[in-house]
Amino acid sequence: MFAIEYFEVECPEPAGGAYYNQITNDVLLDHNLLKVIHKIHVYIDPEIPIFVAVGILNKVTSLVRIGDFTNVNPQEGKITLVLASETYLAPMLKILWEKYGNDHVEQPDRFTVILYNVKADSKEIEDIVVADPSESLGKDLIYALRLVAPEGFRVRREIHDKGKFTFVASEDTLTEDVDELVRKKFALMGETP
Amino acid sequence: MTLVPVTYRGGIHQHDLIIDLIEDLGGYIVQKHMIAQEVVLQCFVPREDIELIRQISKPLFGEVTESPLVGTEIAVVSMSLEIHHLPHPSCDFAEYARRIGAKTNMVSPARGPGKRISTLNDEERDVINEHDIAVYAFGNFESCIEHKWPAMRRGVDVPIVVMGGPDKETLRRIIDPPADGYVGGVGRFMRRTKEAEEIGKLDEIVEEVTRVLEKKREQIAKDPLSVSPARLMEVIREQVPAIHDVTSPTPLTVQMEGLRVKLPYDTFAEPIRKIDLEDGITLADLAEVVPSRMRDYVIVKILRFSETNTVI
Repeated sequence: MFAIEYFEVECPEPAGGAYYNQITNDVLLDHNLLKVIHKIHVYIDPEIPIFVAVGILNKVTSLVRIGDFTNVNPQEGKITLVLASETYLAPMLKILWEKYGNDHVEQPDRFTVILYNVKADSKEIEDIVVADPSESLGKDLIYALRLVAPEGFRVRREIHDKGKFTFVASEDTLTEDVDELVRKKFALMGETP
Repeated sequence: MTLVPVTYRGGIHQHDLIIDLIEDLGGYIVQKHMIAQEVVLQCFVPREDIELIRQISKPLFGEVTESPLVGTEIAVVSMSLEIHHLPHPSCDFAEYARRIGAKTNMVSPARGPGKRISTLNDEERDVINEHDIAVYAFGNFESCIEHKWPAMRRGVDVPIVVMGGPDKETLRRIIDPPADGYVGGVGRFMRRTKEAEEIGKLDEIVEEVTRVLEKKREQIAKDPLSVSPARLMEVIREQVPAIHDVTSPTPLTVQMEGLRVKLPYDTFAEPIRKIDLEDGITLADLAEVVPSRMRDYVIVKILRFSETNTVI
């Protein structure tokens, strides 16, 4: 599934640009970022040298709640949580310990957590938020863009804010007109930084 | 008797027959791999006897193929060991060349990446020069390759094959001073080479490397080595028992003009120099034994006929 509405790689060297188009696509695909990005424009000029990647992210996906990955079974005196996946087990346990105390939370095996004598109904437990995927999204995105950029470009500026991201990298000190360049690249997508 | 590099691939059953045959014919086994029920022998055999080996190995379902990269050590110079350049395409090629008999080492300069900042230090240069050939894996941009090439090749005197993103003609145009071989269309990419077209590219690199090595072989043939590296390997194996305790996959690495012995130089240089090759001729008479810049290994550089007036 290719959910990106705008995907452009601009480069004065046509052959190099085509390779970077492929690299950008491969990296974003490998890091599961294709469905997160709404628009992306990459500009590379090896002569200056500069690498610019700007873009817009899709609306952030919803928060992860206990009910999303567990089956909550209320029984007499205890509530059994049966996990479908272990991905969010650690943050969930941390939250449950804090909320109900270590004495009331038991984990007999990898996929089961039992809460003893807690004053909560199953709906309440299901609604507890354990993780916010958008928090790590910025980090993942910047990491991926670092892989796309040529390795020698070690002077970097990374901004990820309000659903928009800017990544500028160069081998030399970044010049003052970088902001202007970023603005132009956003304008190509019909956006403002 | 000209020895040619070949690969024998066959079942494990009765493969000792083939090993004995090769040794009786005056050939040398450079490497032996046992992979499950299969045996792969990389060896040098007399050209006129290849047909005989084919005939004898037929009932054993063995096949003999010529593989010009056997007995060569190739340096794959990747611009860095970061995920940007590894494992694709540098490792893809290194692995591919290994499968067809070459011994490949990855060499990566500490300051390889970048256009203005890339450079090669003396240790890296010396390590590259210990190989038979260097394959430089460059990136995708013409201007970068053009700019960094002079710095990356400075002091390297082994033949160099350049692979990079731009096509072959462009590489030929921008690379100055010229390299010995060029392969275009293999720059930086971040996916595995598994499509037919991509494997074809790897074959193209192998072809180019083979062509350059053939040239080097011809040049060596004009003033032959005093002793064949494969023979020297056999002698060291017999006379330096410590080599059998080395756990490295190739304790003795055969090169075109010498040998890498993976034993500490300080302890073993003298015993190696004193090895008696034939009728009182010692190894030191026909070769230089020098310390390698790779770990504390020993490099044996075989002298030419014109320098020793002896061929054994």
